Amino acid sequence: MGTKRTTSFYVLSFVFAAFLIFLYGPMFCVYLLSFQGPEGGMSFPMRGFSTVWFETLFTAGGRGVGDIHNSFIRSLRLGAIVALLTMLIGLAVGMSFRRRYPGGNFVFYSAIVSMIVPGIFVGFGISLTLNMLGMRPQWWYSGIGAQLTWSLPFAMLIMFIILGRMDKSYEEAATDLGANSFQRFQYVILPLILPGVIGMFMAGFTSSYEEAARAGLNIGTGNTMPMELTGLLGAATTPVMFAVGTLTTLFMFTMVIVTLLASWSLAKRRQLRLTAHHA
Amino acid sequence: MSEQESKGLSRRSFMKGAAATAGAALGSGVITGFPTYWAQASKDITITHVGSIYTTNPTVAEQANKDLGFTIQMQTLDNTTLINRLLTQPETVDVADFGNTSMGYFKNKGILMAIPVSEYKYWDQTVPLFTQGTYADGKPYSMQGYAPIKSQYWADASAQEYSTAPTDWLVGIPVMYNADTLGVRPDLVPHKVESWGDFFNSDFAGKVALQDGVNVGVPDAAVALEAAGLMTYVDKGNMTREEIDKTIDLLIELKRAGHFRSFWTNFDQSVQLMASGEVILQSMFAPAATEVRTRGIACQYLPLKEGSRGWYIFQSAMAHLDSGDKLRRDCVMEYMNWCNSGFNGVYFSRQGFYSSVPDLMKAQMSENDYGYWYEGKPATADIIDPFGKVMEKAGAVRDGGSLWDRMGNVGIWNTLMDEDRYLVRRWQDFMAA
Amino acid sequence: MSSMTMSPRIASWLQATPFTLIMTCLVMVPLAIILAVSFMDYGFAEIIPEFYLGNWTDLFRSSLTVDTYATVFRQLAMVWSITLVLGFTISYYLVFHVRSNMWRAIFLAACAIPFWTSGPIRMISWVPLLGREGLVNQALFGMGLIDQPISWLLYSEFSVILVYVNMLTMAMAGPIANSMAKISPSIIQAARDQGASEWQVIQEVIIPLIKPGIVVGTIFIITAVMGDGFLVRAMSGNQMNTPAVAIMNEINAFQFPPAAAKSVVLLVIVLGMVGLLLRFVDIRKELAR
Repeated sequence: MGTKRTTSFYVLSFVFAAFLIFLYGPMFCVYLLSFQGPEGGMSFPMRGFSTVWFETLFTAGGRGVGDIHNSFIRSLRLGAIVALLTMLIGLAVGMSFRRRYPGGNFVFYSAIVSMIVPGIFVGFGISLTLNMLGMRPQWWYSGIGAQLTWSLPFAMLIMFIILGRMDKSYEEAATDLGANSFQRFQYVILPLILPGVIGMFMAGFTSSYEEAARAGLNIGTGNTMPMELTGLLGAATTPVMFAVGTLTTLFMFTMVIVTLLASWSLAKRRQLRLTAHHA
Repeated sequence: MSEQESKGLSRRSFMKGAAATAGAALGSGVITGFPTYWAQASKDITITHVGSIYTTNPTVAEQANKDLGFTIQMQTLDNTTLINRLLTQPETVDVADFGNTSMGYFKNKGILMAIPVSEYKYWDQTVPLFTQGTYADGKPYSMQGYAPIKSQYWADASAQEYSTAPTDWLVGIPVMYNADTLGVRPDLVPHKVESWGDFFNSDFAGKVALQDGVNVGVPDAAVALEAAGLMTYVDKGNMTREEIDKTIDLLIELKRAGHFRSFWTNFDQSVQLMASGEVILQSMFAPAATEVRTRGIACQYLPLKEGSRGWYIFQSAMAHLDSGDKLRRDCVMEYMNWCNSGFNGVYFSRQGFYSSVPDLMKAQMSENDYGYWYEGKPATADIIDPFGKVMEKAGAVRDGGSLWDRMGNVGIWNTLMDEDRYLVRRWQDFMAA
Repeated sequence: MSSMTMSPRIASWLQATPFTLIMTCLVMVPLAIILAVSFMDYGFAEIIPEFYLGNWTDLFRSSLTVDTYATVFRQLAMVWSITLVLGFTISYYLVFHVRSNMWRAIFLAACAIPFWTSGPIRMISWVPLLGREGLVNQALFGMGLIDQPISWLLYSEFSVILVYVNMLTMAMAGPIANSMAKISPSIIQAARDQGASEWQVIQEVIIPLIKPGIVVGTIFIITAVMGDGFLVRAMSGNQMNTPAVAIMNEINAFQFPPAAAKSVVLLVIVLGMVGLLLRFVDIRKELAR
């Protein structure tokens, strides 16, 4: 649209700013209350200002901390693997849908079903099945498997959106130039869908990090972060919870920035390589 | 202390012998009678203990690992996940703990082990609430709800049915217990609260909360309804269908009139409700009331004339241990004995829960701590919780007094009713209303 | 490699295999178990493997089913319309008004960051915000707008809808923004050249072209609202019952067969809604376009 800003721009900027405030409202409480004074509780008023809850978090056996250290590491590990698998499997299934094929409907609707069935039932069903097979649940197979049922449908939808956006003419041009299917994928499709692929990774990580209903019964003996937090809520909790929230946000913020930078530099390098190939 | 240690040692040497014999019986290739067998072999054993946040925490796990020489792996789970885990994967757990609201699930399941009384060395020092089904003075307590004695003993070694008469087989080892009542914000209530009946007094409309559930919330509501003269029951802890219908209908009416502010599902919510002033009168757990107070907010937790609602947590061993590795089973028993022997009991006593072996605690707690928490004496110095936080100032007296003042007037116990199926169904109607 | 050709059908099958395996073994099999269990009787935390129709007759006869679905559909309608308007506005702003790619990325990241704090923590944080003594009430009080704290800000249908909107607006905005980004600027320029106002462009050009995005967003909203029990329970102070909450209540009481029957019904209804949506807009055809 034109170069000069219209009134609607300012109105919409205002709406967007208001939305951000709304989005961050509760988070603002989390950030603020994590600096609650040592005598303060989980709600306002602030009774002083301190970093005591962050310190508590890093001292083992602190009040209301439980096993947060280990569960955080477990969640990260699980999240990273689930994210990677989500990305790869999601990419594959997305590519499969570029043509119609018998059974495609089943694949599609099974994903929709997986999004809807209450998580606890998926978890319980897997647990029951493992029990019948005489297998002990372990985080590295049943835990990951259970979480993939949650993350993969989202990956599939992301692929739909991203492939739908792709201009097929590039690919056709590549075919005309004699590229085989692998070259087409590597040099044409992948660079175009790269943001989506990274999106799947992030979606996989986020859904795993948040998920407890499916993994809960299938994770084995080590709690993940949401399980540990839910367990902690059963007793006296302290602003340590909020300190966890603040730190998670910081951590994720760093992750996002690193991912964005990495994908930018990756895209740039690919661009350079493509230019080189052309030359 | 020293007597305690020597007991522990003799126990240890007994266990060595037992384990060595077991090793020989299993033909595991270990030289029979080798004296350090127990210590060496048990080093590789890892015991999985799943439980609530009250009973599983890193501090206790660390101490147990130090004291016992084998590894205790603790996992904190919410109750639903915990019970589902026991039901679908009992073999992935060695030790589990749960309260009276879950006891109804283990009959005829074959999941839990029948613990021989002879293998638990503190049984003769355990309060009669569990061993005999009476208060300390020998008087029988209310049998409304899942009273401890209803699920303390297995009828026989097959661990299928409970027996209310003492037998040689324990369902679980009682770990902690307490009596709950209504919590009050004295600064905000319009008048003094003396009876559960006040819960339904219109002065409190829109400012009360109940626990969300049929095992705690419904018994509380029933006690309050009866006290307010709105209902009569034969057994509030085990209602008939007609009683359930009438109760739910009354509650629906009250809900529609806006009497309830909220229903809480976990401890933290109940603390938040009270501390934030959303609610000024609610049923809550004892440590929740303490927690509100440590935030500098007045919160009374007073004995009411209809009595309190009692609860307990049992620690049980899983049945698969009996048919598995004998050494592992021995370690589990050693661990369960350890849990009540001192450190763990003192740890939770100093947060306001009662140990089932108070005399053992007395020997290991400071006089001030024991006096405040168990004997209802004014604190001679500040009361500090295990994390170093001041819970009460010197001079404070525990709400409701001594152990037996508090535990001595239980009106009803946390429960799981025979008509649970019907009750849950009607509770759904209540929630939808 | 280039000589290796594969029938496209087989290629598709191979590509879909890992996904299908996971969905079959870990979703369809448990689902079959759920269906079987819904026809069984139950006792205390046990499923009695005998044919029993009671779970189904209760479901179809009781007012509970009607009440819970009435509640959830009412909530869904509100959440959907609010997130649609809000999500559209936000993506329209980000796609057509924010010109710098960097700012767009930063804004998108800013919208996503709050979601990386664990659910339980996010849920607790509403109390200090909306409670009687919370920030909002204090602010209103400080401004002299109220003299009594407003209690319906928390533990009410209002708070349920508010938190849904907070959590789900981005789920709607994301797909819409994606569809918008597909619109070629030349189309819009052409419309503008013909003298169309901004509002006319939105109505005549943009909305018809972003239907697939709206459909995907709507699917997200439907599945999230219909399938959620946790948020409703927390934000209504356990005073509201929806089909998912009813299922959770029964699972918490270890009464699996009636919970299974309710899940099957919920599943059929949601699948029906999604299927219907996909009739109007085939997102897979969009893909082949």
